[in-house]
Amino acid sequence: MTSVRPKLKPDTPKTITAWDTATGRVVYMTADHGWTSDPAKLGVFTGEAGEDALEKAAAQEGIVTDPYFMEVSEDGAIAGRETLRETIRAVGPTTHPEFARAETS
Amino acid sequence: MYRYDEFDAQIVRDRVNQFRGQVERRLAGELLEDEFKPLRLQNGVYLQLHAYMLRVAIPYGQLNPRQLRQLARIARDYDKGYGHWTTRQNIQFNWVALKDIPDVLDLLADVEMHAIQTSGNCIRNTTTDHFAGAAADEVMDPRPWCEIIRQWSTFHPEFAFLPRKFKIAVTAAGHDRAAIRVHDIGLHMRERGGQVGFEVHVGGGQGRTPHIAAKVADFVPEGELLDYLEAIMRVYNRFGRRDNKYKARIKILVSETGEEAFRDLVEAEFEAQREAEKIALPQAEIERIHAYFAPPELAGKPATSAAFERAKAADPGFALWADANLHPHKQAGYASVTVSHKPVGGIAGDATDRQMMVVAHLAEAYGHEDIRVSHAQNLILPHVALDDMYEVYRELDAAGLATANESLISDMIVCPGLDYCNLANARSIPVGQAIAREFASLEDQADIGQLHINISGCINACGHHHVGHIGILGVDRKGEEFYQITFGGRADEKASIGQIAGPGLRAEDVPPALKRVVERYRALRTEKAERFIDVVERLGTEPFKEALYAAD
Repeated sequence: MTSVRPKLKPDTPKTITAWDTATGRVVYMTADHGWTSDPAKLGVFTGEAGEDALEKAAAQEGIVTDPYFMEVSEDGAIAGRETLRETIRAVGPTTHPEFARAETS
Repeated sequence: MYRYDEFDAQIVRDRVNQFRGQVERRLAGELLEDEFKPLRLQNGVYLQLHAYMLRVAIPYGQLNPRQLRQLARIARDYDKGYGHWTTRQNIQFNWVALKDIPDVLDLLADVEMHAIQTSGNCIRNTTTDHFAGAAADEVMDPRPWCEIIRQWSTFHPEFAFLPRKFKIAVTAAGHDRAAIRVHDIGLHMRERGGQVGFEVHVGGGQGRTPHIAAKVADFVPEGELLDYLEAIMRVYNRFGRRDNKYKARIKILVSETGEEAFRDLVEAEFEAQREAEKIALPQAEIERIHAYFAPPELAGKPATSAAFERAKAADPGFALWADANLHPHKQAGYASVTVSHKPVGGIAGDATDRQMMVVAHLAEAYGHEDIRVSHAQNLILPHVALDDMYEVYRELDAAGLATANESLISDMIVCPGLDYCNLANARSIPVGQAIAREFASLEDQADIGQLHINISGCINACGHHHVGHIGILGVDRKGEEFYQITFGGRADEKASIGQIAGPGLRAEDVPPALKRVVERYRALRTEKAERFIDVVERLGTEPFKEALYAAD
């Protein structure tokens, strides 16, 4: 299954984000449909490529959990209505700076 | 406290082994998330914003030092050095990897703990007064009955798949510190003509449709309690809505059915129970459970302690703390200590592994090995001699656990909010921290007096904002965080739902607005003993709404 998040239009730039099944850590789909924990390396998808990427993510349930579309700008920066939530997911809790992600890949 | 027998120990260990197999199958891709989710939830495992979260059951909030040390070990080895006390008197670990959770559950089983029924649509941890068994104002100790309810409700086959989650709270004091009227079932212990029984309230709750519970029975004798609870649960299980998650709690059933009609349904179900179905708990069994909760053997002491008074006179910080954080004990010469987990500017309810070790040591050295978690996200040492109090204070202070603020404005209940929670719309913790900084002076907080601020990051109300004297609800408006303020909520014996003041405020505007509200309160109170909530009761919320939105 995928998380229930706001629907995005087909032409809105987006990536796929999910949780690593073994650890629960946040991951993003790369352009070649692999996974990275580094938001700087996420792939940007639009239109059918996005649907295709989500389908591929959903088929990798042993590796990732609850994949869903996350809005990004064309250059891959977190964007849209859920910017705050997704920034917190990407960086860590705002209240524990020491928990900020140390590794970016 | 209750000790596992061989059956308890085996059941818990078997459950760990079963879950270990389920996790292995999930990691191997043999179980899909849709299939695994109900299994992990039955074992207290959520998937939150950053990671899996494991919620561990602490029955009615009671821990011994060995258990607390084990929680510290889990925090250190499997989390990032923290645990988080919850409003159901439990603990949550926010960073545990799924692959490690079976090992964590094994560590818990080693000390008679588990995470069963801390999630899912079942009967959750029964909560109670955190001063139970110690409070001067209780008529009896409610913990044995919490334990009896725990044993009855754990793995109860009929109530494993209720329409929604179900929460029970018990109190035995005139002043309700267990918030029983905002629970699915709230039980108030009474004594009538030498017989122990329960006043039964049903249908309280918070969330998107807050309700104060209806009283459905004045006095259910103790021997009939479990049968009466079964009657309530059966009515709920049969008539509770399963078509709409948001209308599935028993509060909606009570409200839609009507209190009288609901009571009639329960009474009819109670009467219809066949003789063979009746639990009719034997007195011997009631006494067997009570024996686990025998009060500690406290040495007789005079009501006043020269050492305690000397320390208060010599150390103003201790005097301030002793005034705020000690609660009257039923035995002279002792007090119950609130170990504040609300340092000014800190994170409400967070405890480091080191802090847990300190409290475990103090409970052993001075506290008769008894520790409680309060629903206000603090720890309690219920039985400490006044003679030992200064030493306890100094060790707590060195560990950052001696903030003198119990029930004061910085002793907030705060949900994890958008910093951790997958459901939240807005952050809660930073708003709480900013408010605490605004009222940083502990002397000033003492002057303001009792004032409960509760903060939730979404309408699910895990931060109990509906029943805060001042409630704060975080909402999302087109991607921006706003905070809706309520006044006049309370969770005690006069429980009521707070009234919304008006439009939401931006985060940075909340602390100064509350400063104006507090100043208005100080101007309106007739004497220092008149609390904020008393003034709201006397004058209504209008003066405070006005202050909230007043321009500087």
